[in-house]
Amino acid sequence: MLRSGPLNTGALMALSTAATPKPRRKVKPPPSSRRFVESKGALHTAGAAVLDIAATAGGMGLLLGRITARTVTLKIDRDELFRNMYRMGMRSVPIVVITALFVGAIAVIQAAPFVQRVGAYGLLGWGAGFVVLNELGPLLVALMINGRVGANNTAELGTMVVTEQVDALRVLAIDPISFLVAPRFIGIVVTLFVSTVFTDLLALIGSAVAGHLLLGVTPTMFYRGVTGGVLNEWDVLSGIIKSVIFGGIIGLSSCQFGLAVTGGAPGVGKAVNATVVASAAGMFVADYFVSFAM
Amino acid sequence: MSEHAEAAPSSMQRPAGFARRAVGGLGAVALDLGQTGRELWSVLLQTLYYCFRGKREPGAVSYYMYEIGNRSLFFITVVMGFIGMISIYQAGLQALRILPDLHLMGATYISLLIRDSAPTIGAMMLATRVGAGIAAEIGSMVVTEQVDALRMCAADPIDYLVKPRFIASIVMSTALLIWSAFVAFVTAYGWFGVTFESFMNLSLVRWEDLGTGLCKCITYGAAIPIVAGHAGLSTFGGSEGVGWATTRSVVNCCLAVITLDLILSASSFLLFG
Repeated sequence: MLRSGPLNTGALMALSTAATPKPRRKVKPPPSSRRFVESKGALHTAGAAVLDIAATAGGMGLLLGRITARTVTLKIDRDELFRNMYRMGMRSVPIVVITALFVGAIAVIQAAPFVQRVGAYGLLGWGAGFVVLNELGPLLVALMINGRVGANNTAELGTMVVTEQVDALRVLAIDPISFLVAPRFIGIVVTLFVSTVFTDLLALIGSAVAGHLLLGVTPTMFYRGVTGGVLNEWDVLSGIIKSVIFGGIIGLSSCQFGLAVTGGAPGVGKAVNATVVASAAGMFVADYFVSFAM
Repeated sequence: MSEHAEAAPSSMQRPAGFARRAVGGLGAVALDLGQTGRELWSVLLQTLYYCFRGKREPGAVSYYMYEIGNRSLFFITVVMGFIGMISIYQAGLQALRILPDLHLMGATYISLLIRDSAPTIGAMMLATRVGAGIAAEIGSMVVTEQVDALRMCAADPIDYLVKPRFIASIVMSTALLIWSAFVAFVTAYGWFGVTFESFMNLSLVRWEDLGTGLCKCITYGAAIPIVAGHAGLSTFGGSEGVGWATTRSVVNCCLAVITLDLILSASSFLLFG
């Protein structure tokens, strides 16, 4: 039976090793396969990484184009959109509240030694306010939402891909982009935007409380420092604009990595890991360019 | 007996008012937090026990040191490089609004970098990358019943899976966070025409600040594998469960870093001023 079929060297080798008594030493792999393994040098790895990144970036670009097309023509499943927004937004409230309050307090604690040294208690509101409103607040909340919503989104989409539910949608003539992807993308952007506005308020409360407890700066004095004129509207607005851009990055990368999952449960875990890392790196790079542009 | 059995469903069916639901929700959150805290404490104690009394697997710690440390090096370098540039740019612009004098900017920046920003932001990045990785690995092992197989072989999963990662993470996180401070320092130099002599001003750095920074590095390095290992080991369900475990690991690790930062920063400020 085996001889009549096509020549299968692997099966033949397995058969021959099974027939011979167990060798004491490890069987060396055949030279041809060893040479192939050895040829995977640094250059090979680097090239594969570049190709991989290019494929992911291209996939994200295509996905963004498709989502934009569905959004402009209003071909988005409205029930899914509201369901996703509720799920992503409401379930993130506890971590957003904790993060915001703590970030505000940490900003004040870090500013405290300088404030004490110079004696500029009236400037505490300005310093902590700027750090929290413009930089640290949007960034840290985006990191938390990235972990909470972005990772969850990749896991859900990845599980759907692995269990062939996305293919089932296509069979039912339901467009996966307008039913699954676009509502999630818009949901993430809206969630991060609203969370950042909340964070701005809560972090200032956290700062005011920490300043009162640690430095004896009254909330009125803190409020005057924030609204004293050094800090302008543009500082607050640029933080909020950043949050929309971060939301776009998280939404795109989580959907792209989720849809590209292969290889069962370990594949889903790897995809979640990859999406969290990619969004975090993308956010910091984008933060740099946005800070410069504004 | 039968009365009790009948009474239970009727009390369940009573429509719950808003106050009752709110209190119930808060209570559920508090119970969940308490439960998680107790489990984390138990994982930490077991890990510490096995660090001294467990079996030694040759090469495991160095393998995980490579996985956690060397593999994160590129990511950490890129992110911290950008952080350095962003923070010095924003700080300089803000300082110029008050008074056009930047001779203390370098000293302030280095002091802040050593005391807080390099360890904490670097640790947030490590929490995302390493925390997600550990939870995904251990979670996949739980789902494919490899952890049960380990228990069958009389190998405790905490001894075999969490302990080497714990030791590796403490060493490599400390190294990576010191490296991240260096990277953020290098990319921050050269803005606003500040000279190197003026920027490299260590007058505001005290030994206490250095100690606080190092203490933060070690604490974060210890906390991340414990939290992520706990999330991974409590995975259930199939591929969806692995996704959930990874999500929870990232969120809990980041929250752990922020909470520890608040505690350590506040105690350092109260102790040293």
